[in-house]
Amino acid sequence: MLHKALVTPVLCPKVAPALFLSRQFHISPVCNKVQAARYKITPKRDRPLTYEMANPPHFIAHRKGWNSLNVSSLEGGIRPAETVTEDIFIRKFMIGTFHSLVCSEVIIKRQHNHIRIAVILRQGITARKMYFLIGYTEELLSYWLQCPVTLEIQTIADRKEVIFKYI
Amino acid sequence: MLTYTRISVKNGLSTNTILFKRFAAISNQGVMEDEKDGEFRTLNLYKRKNAPVRKKFVKPTVAPPRSKQMAVDQDWGSVWPGPRSFHPATVPLPLHQGFVPKNMAPPGKFANAELMKIPNFLHLTPPTIKKQCEVLKKFCTPWPSGLENDEKIAQHFPIDIITSDYCHALPTIRNPLSRIVSMKMKLSTLNFDDHAKDKFLRLVGDRYNPETDEVTIVTDRCPLRKQNLDYAQYLITALFHESWIKEPWEDTKSEADMEVYIWSRNKSKTTSEAILNWGVSDGKKTPHVEYCQSVETLINEGENIQNLDKYKNEVVKLLNLQNATTA
Repeated sequence: MLHKALVTPVLCPKVAPALFLSRQFHISPVCNKVQAARYKITPKRDRPLTYEMANPPHFIAHRKGWNSLNVSSLEGGIRPAETVTEDIFIRKFMIGTFHSLVCSEVIIKRQHNHIRIAVILRQGITARKMYFLIGYTEELLSYWLQCPVTLEIQTIADRKEVIFKYI
Repeated sequence: MLTYTRISVKNGLSTNTILFKRFAAISNQGVMEDEKDGEFRTLNLYKRKNAPVRKKFVKPTVAPPRSKQMAVDQDWGSVWPGPRSFHPATVPLPLHQGFVPKNMAPPGKFANAELMKIPNFLHLTPPTIKKQCEVLKKFCTPWPSGLENDEKIAQHFPIDIITSDYCHALPTIRNPLSRIVSMKMKLSTLNFDDHAKDKFLRLVGDRYNPETDEVTIVTDRCPLRKQNLDYAQYLITALFHESWIKEPWEDTKSEADMEVYIWSRNKSKTTSEAILNWGVSDGKKTPHVEYCQSVETLINEGENIQNLDKYKNEVVKLLNLQNATTA
């Protein structure tokens, strides 16, 4: 025969009142949805995509290359954050300077002490203006970034030339 | 049909004036001749101004790709002299790049950003390299005589000092890694005796590589390369002189303190010499070197088949027991 004192705690466990009063937080399943740089299909299938846009980021190094090539972002590289900021600045400056002319991503290659910027532009302005803007960009960027900057430009007659497909 | 000719209509027109002018015009014969020529002007009652015609923008003609005018035997090195991103109009190759579904052609070279992304070596064709080497030859000097092979170089320049210079396309020219100095030398070039070598190896620890007999000292604690270089030189000097110093208590090292077995200071030496000089009053016979080495390896490396076999052979040789080995 069991003593009553031994049986009691098993049958009706003592629960601290704090457990009922404490607030529970709501948990929902993890949503691993990724949608950055992915384009939705339109009903009429008339959204133009370049090759760069047609391949989402996980295809980098498989179907498409990097837009920034530098050694700062490698293991042990110096100033990785500053380099990224400078790349963003270069891109914004290029798009603003060649307004409505830039038809592709701005590709920035850093080689030795030299920054090479490659881009596809539309032939929307006269060659004379284009030459002026190229010199202007190279001069200003090399002053800001403290190293020689070269623009390597390919021009196309129509924006449609860079369209890879319509979705 | 009413015609109005040579009516200069100014501000504040009235109908009467027009009528008068009309009859006046009819009576004038010279005006009628003008009408035959068809020189009419419409009466602009409401002063409607013609909008100025904008000059239409004519797109300037763009020259065809340069690659279409290239000669087959052109000098490619002058077309593409240095590193540069791909340009479709300059490269006369029918290139395609890009991933496409099956049974489709990949995008061509024009307006293809993928081809501009990947680094190319179009400036490094073999004829161009050869030409550049020819140009650089006049700046080269003959290789110094007496340094033909690595052994001679190591003999004349026993210390290697390795530093790194960095170049990057960033607003700064500094790189903290360039301060690191590593100094390498062969231990054999320091000409130590046994005691000094032993002490030196204890001091340098794992900076010594027994496979290549090299000591490597890496200094990176100072902010500048010059300071690190001076520090490395100081270190190697201090190590060298410290190794030659023998403290008085080092002489009291007994056999129990030895790390390795040394045959010459052990019982094996006296016993074997006693056996060899058995019955000889002033005999100075000593065992052969291979015997000493076999005893040392047997005790230092431990007993295994090779060491035991070698020891056995040397003992047989020592005791002149050739018949016993053949048996």
